[in-house]
Amino acid sequence: MHEFSMAIEVINLAQREAEKNSASAIQEITIEVGDLSGVEADAFGSALELLVKDSILENATISIIRTSGKGKCNTCNLEFEMNHRMAVCPQCKCFPSKISGGDEFRVVSLVVD
Amino acid sequence: MCDTCGCGDTDELKIHDRQPVHDHKHDHNHDHDHTHPHSHEHSHSHDSVLFTQSHDHGAKKVISLNVDILSDNNRLAQLNRKSFEARNVLCLNLVSSPGSGKTSILEKTIKALIANRKIFVIEGDQQTLLDADRIEKSGAPAIQINTGSGCHLDARMVDSAFKKLDVVPGSILFIENVGNLVCPALFDLGEFKRVVVISVTEGEDKPLKYPYMFQSSHLCLINKSDLLPYVDFNTDKTIEYARSLNPNLEFIIVSAKTGEGMDLWFDWLSRQK
Repeated sequence: MHEFSMAIEVINLAQREAEKNSASAIQEITIEVGDLSGVEADAFGSALELLVKDSILENATISIIRTSGKGKCNTCNLEFEMNHRMAVCPQCKCFPSKISGGDEFRVVSLVVD
Repeated sequence: MCDTCGCGDTDELKIHDRQPVHDHKHDHNHDHDHTHPHSHEHSHSHDSVLFTQSHDHGAKKVISLNVDILSDNNRLAQLNRKSFEARNVLCLNLVSSPGSGKTSILEKTIKALIANRKIFVIEGDQQTLLDADRIEKSGAPAIQINTGSGCHLDARMVDSAFKKLDVVPGSILFIENVGNLVCPALFDLGEFKRVVVISVTEGEDKPLKYPYMFQSSHLCLINKSDLLPYVDFNTDKTIEYARSLNPNLEFIIVSAKTGEGMDLWFDWLSRQK
């Protein structure tokens, strides 16, 4: 459910950036949601689509990029694709591994007029 | 960070001030320094793109940000942390699912320690003043935050509540978060340590089901130990599951009702500097 809070935060962030850049409208916004970020990309996207009405993002194209999870084994240092936080190292079967990617949740860029 | 979640309306947030009113004005406009008037190449491994459309930037301006969406909350949490440290206040964030016994643990803790140490409590619930009333009856000043339909506390709410509580140096500040093992895991409040409470009436597989919370906590209190003879809760298994996620997680088995193990919890509190 925190996806709604996050969506509001994105709208506020976009508003601030538009003001800083004296932009009257935002054409596009690109947001990266890592698979291990704790944010459900689909729920977040739906929340954002619902909440943009009457905001600076109302007419913006929203691009949500999902980034796959990556882990590095604490034992054998193997880097591997991590589908979830409890993934076991495919090489030495050790656990846990350090998350080395896919925990990002950020606004990548905006395109303004 | 916004105070709403779900279909919440910001008007739903209520901070019930039980202390003398200090009305502070807070400026929450935050600038970020990540804007560049030119575009950067990004290299991400993209599993999938949910919403896209081809576009021509033309004369439009591309602002490359790469700003963490939680950065505002994290920055405020860091300010809270510094504020607590400057006042030598030990701030602990208690998280759990609803009904694990957080408030009962706090009541017993306050009654046991209040003679020697000042304790303050920030209570987070969607509705009612019930928990803050219970805490105040135990002898500690409390302030209740009602999040409306919100499912977690955030750093800004804690900042507002902290400014209304006249927390004295050297005291303990407990933040009892909204009962929820999902959302509060992502929101740093500025606490020194996070304490997750699980009760033996819950399944021992809870750490595996809610890994974010157990990974981000420092101590796990396993409460309601007096009920162990009557439930199929495997304490060793719970600890094994949780440590598989977070090898550094500490455990104390307690019963707020009978007092079993509570001395170990009080010792743990006295060791936190």
